Amino acid sequence: MSKITDDDLTLLFYGEHDEPALAAMVAESAELSARFDSLSAELRLADNFVPPHREDDYGADVWRQISPRLDLEHLESANRIKTWLATFSQPRFSLAGALSFALVAVLAFTLGRNGGQDSITEPLNPVNGTAIALADIDSNRLLTHSVSGHLEQVNLVLTQFANTTETSPSEAEYATDMLVANRLYRQAAASQGKHKLAAFLADLEPLLIELAYQAQSGSAATRERMQQEVRNGLLFRLRVMNKQLDKPQISV
Amino acid sequence: MAFRELVLEHSHAMFRLAWRLTSDERAAEDIVQEAFLKAWRKLGNFRMESSFKSWLHRITVNTAMDYLRKQARRKQFETEEPEFESVPMGTVTPAIDAQIDIRAQTEAAMMNLSETERSALLLKHFEGHSIKEIAQIMEMTTGACKQTIFRAVKKMRIALRPLVTT
Repeated sequence: MSKITDDDLTLLFYGEHDEPALAAMVAESAELSARFDSLSAELRLADNFVPPHREDDYGADVWRQISPRLDLEHLESANRIKTWLATFSQPRFSLAGALSFALVAVLAFTLGRNGGQDSITEPLNPVNGTAIALADIDSNRLLTHSVSGHLEQVNLVLTQFANTTETSPSEAEYATDMLVANRLYRQAAASQGKHKLAAFLADLEPLLIELAYQAQSGSAATRERMQQEVRNGLLFRLRVMNKQLDKPQISV
Repeated sequence: MAFRELVLEHSHAMFRLAWRLTSDERAAEDIVQEAFLKAWRKLGNFRMESSFKSWLHRITVNTAMDYLRKQARRKQFETEEPEFESVPMGTVTPAIDAQIDIRAQTEAAMMNLSETERSALLLKHFEGHSIKEIAQIMEMTTGACKQTIFRAVKKMRIALRPLVTT
């Protein structure tokens, strides 16, 4: 090894040196040991740069400060969602759309797999009756795109749910639609080996079931608990997962 | 994991980092809150397989840098105003008694580093990130990151050496 520099010793001090013999060389050489001890003593003085103490509940305090602003952003989203939902003239639009996407995705995968090829060349006629030519559509991309749309819808509905105190019949209706679609997408994801995505969709199911069947008849406390669950964890994971689906280089 | 739990888990570490970058308690608190809000809005940019801590540190460092730049601009503006008494650079150090105050001198030495040098050194020395992680956090090459840390270490050693012998 060439001459040992102070930069080498700095890397050794921080455990970053990629020369395994350096530590032994320093230990064996009085000159190197002295230099290393000197550097260590000087750098250890930096440990005196100690921040002011924060109490144990500092994190909770930060959360109290920022959560109203997060809620405000949720509300802004919720208002946009209300407008968005109001534009639907057909109550079962969500189910038809979701089922169409799910059916297409499942069929795309099945055909692609059974045919021993990655693309679908046969035209399909999905639930909404529109003939769609699926030539050259990659089944993997199709599923990803469809699930992304599904998660976007779930995100909108859950955000709406998390920010309204009054129950609405449409909540259960949308949740039922999404539950059906969610199961189809979960099966399709599992079939394609997208285990992380399948696991996430499986995690979504209990809440969708509860929302579909219990939110209307349950107590205010039940609704509050479900809203907390949505606000504190699920929306966060949902957003992350959906963004990851937008990035094909990230494996889900 | 819920966002609230992430806030509870990382607030202390983010405060320590923000304070060490700014040496200002109030500013550090503001930076922590702002960084979490930015994190909330930018969740889509977070890649699950990378460290959430590194990602948060990146946002904290950037937020602190923005704060420091605003402060620098404000100071520059103030010094351009003739009615304000300007303070020469290098004399803005904490009041130190005749006795050697190691803590204050260490702080002064840290604050005399450039923002980039200080950030890189803090992330290495106190947060224990690898050089590769620091390079990612600070959006620079690994080589540039190494050199930045070397420069910071050299400056710190020169500033702190007298304290070792006393």
